[in-house]
Amino acid sequence: MPGVTRATDVRRTPLVAALPAVWTFLFSVVLLGPALGWGYVLTYDMVWVPQLDLRADTLGLGSALPRAVPSDAVVAVLDEVVPAVLLQKVVLLGSLLAAGTGAAALVAERSTAARLVAATVAVWNPFVVERLLIGHWPLLVGYAVLPWLVVSLRRGRREDRLPLVLPLLLVLGSLSASAGLATAVATLACGADRDRPRRTLALLALVLAANAPWLVAGLVQSGGGTSDPVGATLFATGDEGLLPAPWAALSLGGIWNAELVPVSRTGWAGVATTVLVVVAAAVALVRVGRGRARVDGLGGLVVCWGVGFGLALVSWAAPDTLGRLAATVPGGGLVRDGSRLLGLTVPLVVVLVAVSVDALLARLPDLAGRVMVGGVLALVPVSLMPDALWGVGGRLAAVAYPASYDEARTAVASAPAGDAVSLPFVSYRAPEWNNGGRRVLDPLGRYLDRPVVVNDELVVSGTRIAGEDPRAARVSEALAAGSPGERAAELHAVGVSVVVVEEIEGYPVPAVSGTTTLDGDLTVVELGPAEPRSASAVRRGAVGAAWAGWLALAAAPFVAAVRRRRSGSSATSGMDRQK
Amino acid sequence: MGTVIAPLVSIVAGAVLGVTTLMGVISSQTGAPSQSPANAEAPTLEYGTVSE
Repeated sequence: MPGVTRATDVRRTPLVAALPAVWTFLFSVVLLGPALGWGYVLTYDMVWVPQLDLRADTLGLGSALPRAVPSDAVVAVLDEVVPAVLLQKVVLLGSLLAAGTGAAALVAERSTAARLVAATVAVWNPFVVERLLIGHWPLLVGYAVLPWLVVSLRRGRREDRLPLVLPLLLVLGSLSASAGLATAVATLACGADRDRPRRTLALLALVLAANAPWLVAGLVQSGGGTSDPVGATLFATGDEGLLPAPWAALSLGGIWNAELVPVSRTGWAGVATTVLVVVAAAVALVRVGRGRARVDGLGGLVVCWGVGFGLALVSWAAPDTLGRLAATVPGGGLVRDGSRLLGLTVPLVVVLVAVSVDALLARLPDLAGRVMVGGVLALVPVSLMPDALWGVGGRLAAVAYPASYDEARTAVASAPAGDAVSLPFVSYRAPEWNNGGRRVLDPLGRYLDRPVVVNDELVVSGTRIAGEDPRAARVSEALAAGSPGERAAELHAVGVSVVVVEEIEGYPVPAVSGTTTLDGDLTVVELGPAEPRSASAVRRGAVGAAWAGWLALAAAPFVAAVRRRRSGSSATSGMDRQK
Repeated sequence: MGTVIAPLVSIVAGAVLGVTTLMGVISSQTGAPSQSPANAEAPTLEYGTVSE
């Protein structure tokens, strides 16, 4: 086809080849800003602590839905090697860097300007900013993996084998249920082949192994795995100022939580972004349709876009349907946050934008003009969402935990056997030390050295969304008992041996009888030894098998690389002997 | 031909970036507040607020 080049045909100087990585690094640093300072970024669902312990609940054997499986277990292992305070920076910066360079790799056959525009679009967009603010870091890791997954599957298809790096990408892309779902869709959409059923089955097996820890833990969970249907209405794709939800989703926005929408998205800049994305996609599709441009694996990218955008659209148009699904089908609640899988639309968007950028640049007569216009186009996403600069105006600034958290951990560590409860019994906190009251999931759930029963009931716009953890419900009942002694006895019966209390205005905590071992900003009350709640043997066996499969998958690329190296060196020594 | 087009291209490119930057800055300064005033009295420990 005239004018069509393949990635392998393009020869670039090392400097030009490295340009998207340097560009992405700069923009990632500018976007994260104070998040890269010393301390922890604590925002909504993003809770990092100095020492996360590997224990039953981080492995998916707790009583709550396995929302942080396998991400918490991975962090618990890695923070033994790299301090958590650094690990979080590596994860955040690495995700953005991988997303940008992955987008550039996705359009490797295109001009440098088109690659830079693709990188900027992949990093500087509402999906990234909104998910950073709500703290869905495993989803962002999965988002960063998506373009690399597409690139490696394309290469694997050309070479007629599964890429060596695929297991590692699947493991990284499946650190949470939502991320795993997106990764599974992308893998099957871009890698499955009707004419090669064995390859498709192999991909399916790899995807299942990568998602096995949360999938199996959820299936054997004691609560049934269904969710309150009202959540689907509250978590539906939302309008963003002048943009109705479907239009917001077209330009990668539409998070349900209006507090997390960058203000620039609510004005004409949001409209302009949407118009530019739609026009660029239309121009590119016309060119592809007329045979003037070629997109490798377009069908798979379209399927990904269709799933991501379709889900966002359905959650806006028919939230009740998704609510019924969440209430009746175990795990159905996974899709109730309509815009959560919008990252799936990004690979197609960046490819089409790159095609249209090249179409525009091809009309310019000289190199200077192309460089100038290319540079301007690469800056347009930033200029239309300038409030994302520097950690979204400081909203992502890292903070230090007060000393009382360490004191509480030490006090709880010496408490008798049993689990802990953090009071007041509400899911979120908004401590003054966290950027002047930034909301965050109660950090004590991860900070302490033992499983903590946390309230998984959520309140959105004054509406309560029931939790799924039966043990949390029993703790709520225990706290409603008539006297401090009765509360202590009932908590004890649920397997709780220690209570940590934080005084929060407007949230009175019922007194619980026991021995106060710490009395400061956080109060620790021991209730006496309690019988630890351990999962059944069947449950432990099932989750253990899932983890074994996951570990085998994670280790596969390294084992294969060592084998290849050994067989290479033995072949070389064999050749030496023949000489 | 090239001598005429080059300045034109630079003017258009500069104008595009200028307009989009102006649009972004104005939107970020004058857009609706991220927290709806209707929910300003809501308890601070809510998970979030949906758009009205």
